[in-house]
Amino acid sequence: MDSLPNGNSAAASPPQNTTPAAAGGTTPFPKLTQLTEALKLEHQFLRVPFEHYKKTIRTNHRAVEKEITSVISNVADVSDSENFSKDDAVNHLTSLVSRLQGLKRKLEEGSRTEHLQAQKCRARLNHLESADAENLAEWNNTRVKRILVDYMLRMSYYETAEKLAESSNIQDLVDIEVFQEAKKVIDALQNKEVAPALAWCSDNKSRLKKSKSKFEFQLRLQEFIELVRGENNLRAITYARKYLAPWGATHMKELQRVMATLAFKSNTECTTYKALFEPKQWDFLVDQFKQEFCKLYGMTLEPLLNIYLQAGLSALNTPYCYEDDCTKEDPLSQESFRKLASPLPYSKQHHSKLVCYITKELMDTENPPQVLPNGYVYSTKALEEMAKKNNGKITCPRTGLFINTLDAVTFDVSLPCIDK
Amino acid sequence: MELNDIKDAFDRVAKKQKLSCSKTQEVIDLIVQEIEKALETVKSASHLDDKYVLTELKRRLQDIAPLGQLEGTQKELNIALSKYTKILEKSFNPDISKAYRNIEFDTHTVSQIIASHFYRQGLFEVGDCFISETKESECSAAILSIFEDMYQILEAMKSGNLEPALKWAAANSDKLTQNGSDLQLKLHSLQFVEILRKGSREEALKYARANLAPFASNHVNEIQKLMACLIWARKLESCPYPQLVSQTNWVTVAEELTRQFCNLVGQSYESPLSVTIAAGVQALPPLLKFMTVMAGKKQEWQSMKQLPVPVELDKEFQFHSIFVCPVSKEQTSDDNPPMIMSCGHVLCRQSINKMSKNHSRTFKCPYCPSDIDAAQCRQLYF
Repeated sequence: MDSLPNGNSAAASPPQNTTPAAAGGTTPFPKLTQLTEALKLEHQFLRVPFEHYKKTIRTNHRAVEKEITSVISNVADVSDSENFSKDDAVNHLTSLVSRLQGLKRKLEEGSRTEHLQAQKCRARLNHLESADAENLAEWNNTRVKRILVDYMLRMSYYETAEKLAESSNIQDLVDIEVFQEAKKVIDALQNKEVAPALAWCSDNKSRLKKSKSKFEFQLRLQEFIELVRGENNLRAITYARKYLAPWGATHMKELQRVMATLAFKSNTECTTYKALFEPKQWDFLVDQFKQEFCKLYGMTLEPLLNIYLQAGLSALNTPYCYEDDCTKEDPLSQESFRKLASPLPYSKQHHSKLVCYITKELMDTENPPQVLPNGYVYSTKALEEMAKKNNGKITCPRTGLFINTLDAVTFDVSLPCIDK
Repeated sequence: MELNDIKDAFDRVAKKQKLSCSKTQEVIDLIVQEIEKALETVKSASHLDDKYVLTELKRRLQDIAPLGQLEGTQKELNIALSKYTKILEKSFNPDISKAYRNIEFDTHTVSQIIASHFYRQGLFEVGDCFISETKESECSAAILSIFEDMYQILEAMKSGNLEPALKWAAANSDKLTQNGSDLQLKLHSLQFVEILRKGSREEALKYARANLAPFASNHVNEIQKLMACLIWARKLESCPYPQLVSQTNWVTVAEELTRQFCNLVGQSYESPLSVTIAAGVQALPPLLKFMTVMAGKKQEWQSMKQLPVPVELDKEFQFHSIFVCPVSKEQTSDDNPPMIMSCGHVLCRQSINKMSKNHSRTFKCPYCPSDIDAAQCRQLYF
């Protein structure tokens, strides 16, 4: 279904009750479609807390399974073993019972956490539902803040993210905890420790396997290289046997390349192998982790801010924005925005839209454009105002051309494609 | 996109989750029961052999097969979970980065933009925190002080104090008049109404004489209304001009002050970051749709000079005139400017050249059937 451009009556399906603000007819039709399209961009907003919720459910269930299995096999062991006293049996069984009581308590706690996370998912849905014509400005404002919090979290500016979320009370609408989990792994990797990253991999084993991720392999490779760097070659080989060999079937080339480092010292000048010893490799691991992490949670790889900025800048980008007299209301009148927009394409429009140089208002059938004898065009409103204030005389603000009476202005420019 | 359907799907997930939880509790209770039974039997000096009891227990537990019992509810939960994921992917665009060009944004520039945004929105603490976390120090200082001044005036107004606002308006009264703004009068009116609200007619009159009088010549109507309000001092609710005395007037005047303030310091009224993001929200849907259709053309996408699809933004984003020639459907530019023909219709220069075969013959305007001589067409400047 086409999203309607500016109210043109293309063949579109009627607005079934597909949108929020069910109060029939408070929002005009084009705005409604626009709102629906805007909401469709919010996949990440709903997906991330849901993935988090799923993960908690999975983790809790696995703990339950593990404990039950352990208790049952414990019973089996005890019943199969030969020599134990009555006291032993009593003690054993009692301890099993208390383990199970402990499990129940944990289950309760876990259930509470899951409930909170489910509430967060619901809060997101409610927030989307709450968007309508009445509070659109505020809803949009909140969206800007959500986008900025996402940026802060991706760039690791955690303090600012928290402050911003607090100041506008949008803690439920942003995913700070999720990123804090990531922070632990990232900080460790930046400290050249792989343990948290490996733990993360094992937590998410099945999903990483499904997406054929080789992140764990890359972590193991790095540990191997660190062992070689420390000249622990024997340990390195044992390590490789245990942890790298399983990946050999699918990643033989890489495995061979890294194994070859055994033949070199860490300060080798040989370029291929020198690269493997660079501390930059850790930065690469951090980037890899960020990618895997975002993919798992259904987040875009780039910060939302960049995505929206790029699209917006391109849509606003015209050659006229770079002229000196560009209006201050245009973001592209600012140096910083121009810098970001310069490598981006110009916008494209199929319908003429004329803006009066003087009033910056749209010139349409209600306020038609008029042409001065020198070819310069201004809105009827602007020319009439000017004439009123100056005894009927008009001066072209751009060329200084002086016209005695309004009648001297030539005929209206009839532009059949002007949109309302 | 039916939000209700999505909410229902989530409710189902939550329901299945509760079921799974209670089933798990049930199963654990069963196990505990069996073990406790066995415990009792062993503790009591019964005739049954301990080993026999334990083997019985092991058999009982195997029969119960607790994990097997949980499988059912787990499966239902997993189905609900994956259904929800599917409905999310169907109702929303799962990857809005499809239309993203791999062009790096300079981090410093982006940080500057963000810092300026925080300051002009009055989020000073957040802005300071951001600056210290990003270690960007320069450039934002200027914007910070400009907007600090503005927010001080606005905060004072919020708590009912008009002094800073009046001071600012008086200091800038020339420029305000040039802009055609009657902000000064509006502020004095607010003050006048407040004095009236507190009850003193004489004070109000004095105030009016001193401060409203200078505006009398240009704003006769407003002054008359205000002076009439004197009659309703202390009973302003019954005054026939509710819009003059209501509290919402303060909000309107504060907005006008913000607008004028930003204008006078050469800033836009809306935060440029908010404007750009809002434009992005409108631009992304058509761009993303284009990408799904043109999936293979990713290479061209990265280097094109103009967007391949038209993106029509709302009129508040229209800052420059765009003229699209009705014949060639191309946007006019400095190289190919719009020209007006003698009938009043407008085409781009290239179309006129084409239709007149390079000025060699007259042609008929595509809109009205007048004869057009290319040489007589004049360039327009929007």
